[in-house]
Amino acid sequence: MEKIVELRDVTKVIKGRTIIDNISFQVNKGEVFGFLGPNGAGKTTTIRMIVGLMGITSGDITIAGASIKTQFEDAVRHVGAIVENPEMYKFLTGYQNLVHYARMTKGITKEKIAETVELVGLTDRINDKVKTYSLGMRQRLGLAQCLLHDPQVLILDEPTNGLDPAGIREIRDYVRLLAREKNMAVIVSSHLLSEMEMMCDRIGIIQNGKLIDVQLVQEFVQSTESTYELEVFPSDKALALIETTYPNIRIGRSRNGISIEVSKEEIPQLVKILVNEDIQVFGIKEIAKTLEDRFLEVTKEKEAATHA
Amino acid sequence: MLNLIKNEWMKIFKRPGTYVMMAILIAVTIIVGIFFKYQDNNNKAAVDKNWEQTLQQENDALKKQMDQSQTKIEKKFYQKEIAINDYRIKHHINPHEKYNVWSFVKDASELIILAGLFTIIVSAGIVASEFNWGTIKLLLIRPINRTKILTSKYLTVLMFALFMLGILFVFSMALGAVLFGMPENALPYLNYNNGQVTEQNIVVHLLIYYGLNSIKMMMLVTMAFMISSVFRNSSLAIGLSLFLLFTGDQFTALLSLKFAWAKYILFANTDLMQYFEGTPMVEGMTLTFSILMLLLYFVVFQFFAFFVFKKRDVAA
Repeated sequence: MEKIVELRDVTKVIKGRTIIDNISFQVNKGEVFGFLGPNGAGKTTTIRMIVGLMGITSGDITIAGASIKTQFEDAVRHVGAIVENPEMYKFLTGYQNLVHYARMTKGITKEKIAETVELVGLTDRINDKVKTYSLGMRQRLGLAQCLLHDPQVLILDEPTNGLDPAGIREIRDYVRLLAREKNMAVIVSSHLLSEMEMMCDRIGIIQNGKLIDVQLVQEFVQSTESTYELEVFPSDKALALIETTYPNIRIGRSRNGISIEVSKEEIPQLVKILVNEDIQVFGIKEIAKTLEDRFLEVTKEKEAATHA
Repeated sequence: MLNLIKNEWMKIFKRPGTYVMMAILIAVTIIVGIFFKYQDNNNKAAVDKNWEQTLQQENDALKKQMDQSQTKIEKKFYQKEIAINDYRIKHHINPHEKYNVWSFVKDASELIILAGLFTIIVSAGIVASEFNWGTIKLLLIRPINRTKILTSKYLTVLMFALFMLGILFVFSMALGAVLFGMPENALPYLNYNNGQVTEQNIVVHLLIYYGLNSIKMMMLVTMAFMISSVFRNSSLAIGLSLFLLFTGDQFTALLSLKFAWAKYILFANTDLMQYFEGTPMVEGMTLTFSILMLLLYFVVFQFFAFFVFKKRDVAA
């Protein structure tokens, strides 16, 4: 995989406060990179530094090999971005807005604008003033604005903020499509985990300005041990039994019985023991950990580590 | 750069406010025109047949006054008046020309202050509004550096100023022609410089007159532009610039009575006409000095505007 965006030891200090602390990561072509973190963790600041809206205190960011600090024009040429809400000129029509941005990059033809409008599905309303647009339509116009010049890197800051479920889904499908078909690198930031889980290939978790972890989504969600829920009767007896047989195991009560963290290979043995003791087993199911669980786990672990 | 200016121009002219400004400028010119027309009708009776004699008498009186006067400035003023009157008598140029289109254009040039007011409003908003609308974020992530963007904005403001002045000049000319008629043969304007009286084509004179009268407006427009860029606040830019537009001259005149350093104040230098037709606000000021001061202020304003705009972290 070919890397296209690279952050090296990026630090941002504002008025003596370190907002972003030594972040390094890279994003490859054709990949959707999720940037995940609680509100105020530094997601938007990092994105602003990537597109050159904010200065970098130390470290450097390169896009397609060009530094955003020293070769701004060469670097930002490859980027299309929506930073926070896609704010447009409300007194202009959608089309005039696009013409406005098209004029600022070389070589965007009228056909290209029409094609992009078609792509985001705004053809019917493109000649209306933006002030008459719904939030979803503005979001689409924002997307059109950043796709005009066929960027290699697409940066979307909270792209689904304020959208209804249909709109969210549309954006998600769209992002995946762009990454797959046009080999774009997409950087998406969000604090909505479920959404990131469905959209991204890799995610980086940021907390208090520090990058805690970068992992593939699958790896991140799955860990070696899974949690299983056992529907058994009587559950008290089962609980006591398992605790004595496996003293080191993590076990607890759950809504329908007991939940227990074991590896898959142990399950048959476990069932045997339960059956031998005349405990009725109604069902066993694996409980997939969601990104949310993992996220909370990871951020909590880190917090505990720093406090200890 | 041309595309950037086109963009800015589009953003100005797609807003209804701009048309309101143009309408107000034209409406006020019409009101002023009607007012002068009304006055002109009342004054028609008095046309002096023996104007040459009258001028001669005036000159004699002026000479007496000149001999009595104490200050150098007063003496210079009398000298100039006498020289011009002599020139008129010699070349048969009647001072009491019938009120015509050119007189009106000159009188209407007082409205430059109104054109200035509107240009300041545009100038104050051109950077600050982008921050208010949040569009600055999308504007600055194009492959164009910030200096170019800000330059295009300033050039647009200059063009808008020219546009407003153009409207005023052309419209007052058209209105003047309709209301007061063209003169049969346009009398030249008489220039006095170092004891020499020269003739100047009236249109050329009016254009220069316009140019010189627009200096103050342009400096304040530049200041509004700076405030807009530095503080991202269009209300502050409009408020402060307009306040100075209307009061700057008076304050400076008051200060200049007491303090010699008043000559370093911007408004002591904005009226370059004072070197051609009057006396400088503070003694010892020269045309070169004023031009240098104006350049200095201009450079300082632009330096702050560009420096801050380039360095700014955009977190709107």
